[in-house]
Amino acid sequence: MSGELTKAIADLEENEALRLTREKLDSGVEPQLILEESRKGMEIVGQRFGDGTYFLPELIFSAEILKEITEIVKPKLTQEVQTERLGKCIIGTVAGDIHDIGKDIVVFMLDVNGFEVHDLGVDVPPQKFVEKIQETGAAIVGLSGFLTLAFDSMKETVDAVKAAGLRDKVKIMIGGGQIDDEIRKYSGADAFGQDAMTAVSLAKGWL
Amino acid sequence: MREYSGNRIGEEKDVTIVRDIHLNLEQRQILRREGIRRQSSVRPEIIALIDELLLNIDAEHLLEPVCAYAIYPVSGIDHDQLSLSGDMVLHAPLLASALPDAEELAIVVGTIGPGLEKRVTEYLGKGEPLRGLLLDGIGSAAVDSLSQQACQLIQNEASLRGYQAGSRFSPGITGFPITEQWQLFRMVPADEIGMSLAASGLMVPRKSVSMVIGLGQKMVVRERGEACARCNLSKTCLYRWETDNQHIEA
Repeated sequence: MSGELTKAIADLEENEALRLTREKLDSGVEPQLILEESRKGMEIVGQRFGDGTYFLPELIFSAEILKEITEIVKPKLTQEVQTERLGKCIIGTVAGDIHDIGKDIVVFMLDVNGFEVHDLGVDVPPQKFVEKIQETGAAIVGLSGFLTLAFDSMKETVDAVKAAGLRDKVKIMIGGGQIDDEIRKYSGADAFGQDAMTAVSLAKGWL
Repeated sequence: MREYSGNRIGEEKDVTIVRDIHLNLEQRQILRREGIRRQSSVRPEIIALIDELLLNIDAEHLLEPVCAYAIYPVSGIDHDQLSLSGDMVLHAPLLASALPDAEELAIVVGTIGPGLEKRVTEYLGKGEPLRGLLLDGIGSAAVDSLSQQACQLIQNEASLRGYQAGSRFSPGITGFPITEQWQLFRMVPADEIGMSLAASGLMVPRKSVSMVIGLGQKMVVRERGEACARCNLSKTCLYRWETDNQHIEA
């Protein structure tokens, strides 16, 4: 039976994945092993997204399946495991921009992949990012922006983090419609991503 | 339904407001707006969810398409600006270079209203991002259709005067700065159809469109794929048109 759950998630077979999860729990399989097998399925989904087999809706669909599995398994996990997170991230759409859907999807994907995410919303002033870093001690910051004018706000936010003496304590990623490496250099961020899966990979790589 | 046509702004400028526009929401256009470029492999669950959302849109009247437009005679074209009657000027090198034969310029704004995007926010807020994402894509496809319908209206009107309508251009593309959005909103009473601008120049509701269309006796019409090819996101944009027939693999 090992690998069936991984395959069901990888193939986006929602009902089958949920059935297998319940079956495994009922037969005494450790909940952490179920989650581990699920994460392997998500890794395959990520690969398929990367090679163009899956598109964004399918990526989100897989994350929703993982979320459902986590909800089923959660009551069987110890309190310690339930609250265990990979790391803390702060995400927000920078000042002057109010686009939210891309940012919300990144927040969801980071959350489902085990991060504690602090979502600051949209049109977020630089100082708010600084205050949240100081408050939470988060080591990963994501700046979202769709408009070209967001590039200046991203730079101002990175500068504000630097001015607060926090730049060497955080890794900063930027993302949005028109972001590329030129914009990354201009803003002073550490990395950029063109989709939610890249954001997850970057965050995991910075742990 | 043409609700209203009269002199509303500036110096006796005719403005037309059109409501109850029929939107054509084809599945392949919706999938393109969902970022899906290979239709044949889409999961049936996702197709079923799109169908369910479309039914909800109808049942809850989430789409309220409306557009407004005004037509200005072109009084001069400089290397980086277009001068219009009523001392109106658009600072946009792209327009100056792409519309040398334009005798008039139609300024168009339109929206599908705030209902759909409010529902998207609700879905995202209650942990249903797939529904939110798919509904957002349907909204984008609806705005595309609204744009097409508005262009058709203007083309029909222009043809009555012996004019052709050229390609449409929207602020925010290379050579047409988004800051010109403010000027467009001065030239058409967008507030009368529930539209406004945020401080950044972003339209509210977000599912809206603003554009200009050159009118004249010899106008060039570019295919959508050509317009996408000129954009600096031409290689990476999820929603780009390749050509009219190839934008989604069969």
